[in-house]
Amino acid sequence: MAMPEAPTEIEQPTGSEVPDPALPWLVRVWNDPINLMSYVAFVFQKLFGFSAEKANRLMLQVHNEGRSIVSSGPREKAEFDTARLHAHGLWATMQWDG
Amino acid sequence: MAFAEPRVVRRGADDYELDIPADHREILRGLPGQLREVLDSGHSATRRLFPDAYPDDPKMSAEFDDMVREELIAERKQSLEVMEQTIDAKRVDGEQLSAWLGSINDLRLFLGTNLDITEESYERPLDEYGHSSQAMAVYMYLGWLQEMVVRALAADLPRTGEGDD
Repeated sequence: MAMPEAPTEIEQPTGSEVPDPALPWLVRVWNDPINLMSYVAFVFQKLFGFSAEKANRLMLQVHNEGRSIVSSGPREKAEFDTARLHAHGLWATMQWDG
Repeated sequence: MAFAEPRVVRRGADDYELDIPADHREILRGLPGQLREVLDSGHSATRRLFPDAYPDDPKMSAEFDDMVREELIAERKQSLEVMEQTIDAKRVDGEQLSAWLGSINDLRLFLGTNLDITEESYERPLDEYGHSSQAMAVYMYLGWLQEMVVRALAADLPRTGEGDD
């Protein structure tokens, strides 16, 4: 998938702190009433190479607690992972871990 | 006449049998084309296919959407096309079955959004849905079929992977 070049400077949001580039972005998957549990676990295994056990554990966390963190890293990685999850129909969001 | 059940069976590496009765295929046949038509339309029920990536930041969500939407639409259309082309196939390969999986999921997301599916929807009898009961039956059928596709494809996922950390 075509990705934009990483900016050499972080754009400064007006009126708030500059994000620390050392802190990661978190990717969360949220529960929804449509996606099958088996499908969500399958997607976790397929996209992130998790074992079946880990994929199931994260899926159950989504199901029981409403959401789970599935990956973290620099913003570009988080955007890539989020887009892949969206492509598989999962409800994924990004949040800076600040 | 007994209701024939569909089966999806892995027959070997990259080889899957789609044992789907003819009348089920008739129901499935028109669905990919319907979804393809609405993908470009911005129909409100496709919103679930393009979630906000930054829930607290509409501006960044819009930028993310600008970046990914066209490619997501193109990928989805390609999968729908593969499903259409193999709608009568008795055997498919892994790539084709993955296209079925993605397309069935997208169809469920679209139909389910239209039907306002909640966790409670699965407990209600079909006849409570009135004029939506046919759409609900298709939605439920797709879920049943999808379980079988996942099970068949899961057999080819790597056995070991990133475990507990």
